[in-house]
Amino acid sequence: MAIFNRRRQLWTTLLVALLVLLAALFLGDQLAGKKPARILQTLINGTLVGGVYGLVALGIVVINKASGVFNFAHGWMMVLGGMIFWSFFSVSAISLPGAALLSGTTMVLLLTAVRPGKLEQAQQILLVVAGGAALTMLMTIGGQEWRWLHAIVGSCAGALLTGLAVERLTIRPLIGQPLFTAVLMTLAVAEVLHGLTQIAWGTVELNLPIFVDPETNSRFKPIRLDGLQEALGGVAIVRVELVIAFVLALLAFIGFMLFFRYTRVGLAMRATSEDQSLAQAVGLRVRVILAITWAAAALLASIAGVLQGGAVGLSLNISYVALRVFPAVLLGGLESVGGALVGGLIIGIVEQFGTLINSSQQVGTNLAPYVVLMLVLLIKPDGLFGEKRIERI
Amino acid sequence: MAHINPAGTFNRSYAEELRIDRTRRDRWLKFALFMALLLLPFLSPSGPLGMDWISDQVVGLVARMAIFIIAVQGLNLLVGYTGQISLGHAAFMAVGAYSSALLARELGWSFWAALPASALLTGLLGLGFGMPSLRVKGFYLAMATLAAQFIIPWVLRYPMEDLTGGSRPLTVPAPMVGPFAHYAEDTLESGGEFAFDAGDPFLVDVITLQVDGDGAQTLEIELLDPAGRAIPDGDVAMTAQLDAMGRRIGLRYIASKPGQYRAVLRAAADAQGWQVSLRRSKALSFATSTAMYMIIVPLAVLLMLLARNIVRTRAGRAFISVRDNDLAAELLGIHVFVAKLQAFFLSAVYAGIAGCLLAFERNSLSLDAFQLDVSIELLAMLIIGGAGYPLGALFGVGFIRLLQEAIIPWLRPLLSDVLPQLFPFVDAVNITSAINPILFGGALILFLVLEPRGIAHRWEVFKAAWKLRPYSN
Repeated sequence: MAIFNRRRQLWTTLLVALLVLLAALFLGDQLAGKKPARILQTLINGTLVGGVYGLVALGIVVINKASGVFNFAHGWMMVLGGMIFWSFFSVSAISLPGAALLSGTTMVLLLTAVRPGKLEQAQQILLVVAGGAALTMLMTIGGQEWRWLHAIVGSCAGALLTGLAVERLTIRPLIGQPLFTAVLMTLAVAEVLHGLTQIAWGTVELNLPIFVDPETNSRFKPIRLDGLQEALGGVAIVRVELVIAFVLALLAFIGFMLFFRYTRVGLAMRATSEDQSLAQAVGLRVRVILAITWAAAALLASIAGVLQGGAVGLSLNISYVALRVFPAVLLGGLESVGGALVGGLIIGIVEQFGTLINSSQQVGTNLAPYVVLMLVLLIKPDGLFGEKRIERI
Repeated sequence: MAHINPAGTFNRSYAEELRIDRTRRDRWLKFALFMALLLLPFLSPSGPLGMDWISDQVVGLVARMAIFIIAVQGLNLLVGYTGQISLGHAAFMAVGAYSSALLARELGWSFWAALPASALLTGLLGLGFGMPSLRVKGFYLAMATLAAQFIIPWVLRYPMEDLTGGSRPLTVPAPMVGPFAHYAEDTLESGGEFAFDAGDPFLVDVITLQVDGDGAQTLEIELLDPAGRAIPDGDVAMTAQLDAMGRRIGLRYIASKPGQYRAVLRAAADAQGWQVSLRRSKALSFATSTAMYMIIVPLAVLLMLLARNIVRTRAGRAFISVRDNDLAAELLGIHVFVAKLQAFFLSAVYAGIAGCLLAFERNSLSLDAFQLDVSIELLAMLIIGGAGYPLGALFGVGFIRLLQEAIIPWLRPLLSDVLPQLFPFVDAVNITSAINPILFGGALILFLVLEPRGIAHRWEVFKAAWKLRPYSN
């Protein structure tokens, strides 16, 4: 037993082995009666759902990396993004003053966040007016057939507005405060966003028909895996809207990863996340970077909200997705971008297996992710790909 | 945190530094305030004197505020003094509420036994969920308690559905002292009938029936309430006494409605020479919110004092040192993990007591009262009131309840008129339910930005300025 150089390590390993054994026994017992087709179906669904979870997890990881804040308001940012998209997409003519107000505030906030120092005041005003007018035009131009453009521009503007406003009004005043204050602040932001969404869009589930067959204008027919019927003892289906959401989520994920890795802003973000004062010392504007980070995270939340809303249904319940994603973030590691995707996929699969075992008791959505969370915390708090924490005295 | 003393006032000894009341006048003032608080239910219409000075709603509101003060004070021990985060306190309250309710309902325990038992159980569960604090802190710990907030209600809702009723509300029997003063005894023959008057809602009548002799019979009785309706066997006010074979040989019923009750002993086929003894007695019942007030408020004051004293002990000082710097605390010889677990235990005990009181105050229990937003609300109350201040819980609960009970009802019709005209997409129906989270979150944001130390800190500053008048600014 030379590898267990400390006794505690031995006990931890034994405990983990015991837990895994128990879990395997339990799952084996539960799954023994199920047909292979249903297990394959669960795996497919879990993976597809997990893609969006990965995107949500990325948003939380990005903010945590840059500012060390764990964003509990991410779920409500998702809901807000999805709802704004719905408004532009479903309401054929969004009112001109509304669009102008949205684009105007977004431009002002964007300008105050980025603060291009070289511009005169008159030039700044001109920039706001011109930019606002351009955005407004993009949001209201044409009729029903332009709604994709309206919705994308409108929800991007809405996401930027949300992210920048949240950062400016609630997170920036907290610099120098303990961590606990930041946790409570994001919880308070979540409450406010909850109320605002409810005032504007109500509590009923909205229909967001973005993943529809262009020919029939109704939901896609699911793909039946007929070829495997013999081997699996049943038919597994693949829902097309989930596949589209998964692919789009993956694309967005890869896009943001490339953005962080190869652009100057992304590089600055990574530098800021390493060490804020060092980044400041080499001439980076840390506050601007933080604002951009929050805007980027809000954008990620919006995309995830739209995808989730289109694939599953748009309602206030989407916000609970973010709570389920916290286990995914911890599982992947708080600092790891790749870990976010892996964690999201694992939680998606775990959730679907929970639903398979017992669909009436909400095991998948209300229990399984949190059991995983407790296990991660007890066994490997740093997550699969997270950095090992070393405390300075 | 230390008092802010005016210039020229010094503590001359350690004991003086630690004193809760600096002067005798302070102590008398607090005692008088407590007495005035206890007088409150006597001035309400449903109180024993039937006066109409204060409405019943106010008394009920103060009672529920006192319950939340207990819960927030428990959270204060954990968050304010030990510096550990808990997002799962509502779940701990649920454990206290359901365990005490089930002890009273299923096992027939009295409230006075169920209260400490459920508090202890909740404390042990809090220990369990405090275990991760051995290895993790900060966000990670928040996550662990978030898991508790989801796992515990799930367990109560689904696997224990047979006991807790799942998502349906659960009725809870009223707490009682007694029965004492047995004022009438009688025996009944099979087929016999009797009637008795009950009147007072506080001093209720209790009837106890017992099969005499070897007890080879099941007690078959029909009870009719003053309205003439038959009282079902599973009624909350009814406690059955069973023999080893599961037959009902005794029965206790608490008559709390004013009017005449009637009971008919049903004849059994082999009822020859078969007797039932009947005893009528009085008991003190705490069925109404006004009556529960007399339990809740003294208990809340007691627990506030206890928390205040815990902080002054060796364990309490260890809590504070763990909060301020856990590494330094460890170097001082404090067992950090033990201190954290103690804080988790105490905090959960407070939450359990609060949950138990909540269950018995409402006489009805539903899992919806212990969702995640309640946990957040408790934390918000603590921060707004002032974490780490002895009076923080009081101020925080007062502020949030004032917001919810006074300001929101006043603001609601105003906003329902104005907002839909300003923004055509706003539906007035949604404003009612959405205004609470907006104002609540907004207040929390304002406090976190402008005064993160909470109202209690302002109060200390104000007191110091008051002592210095007219030289304070």
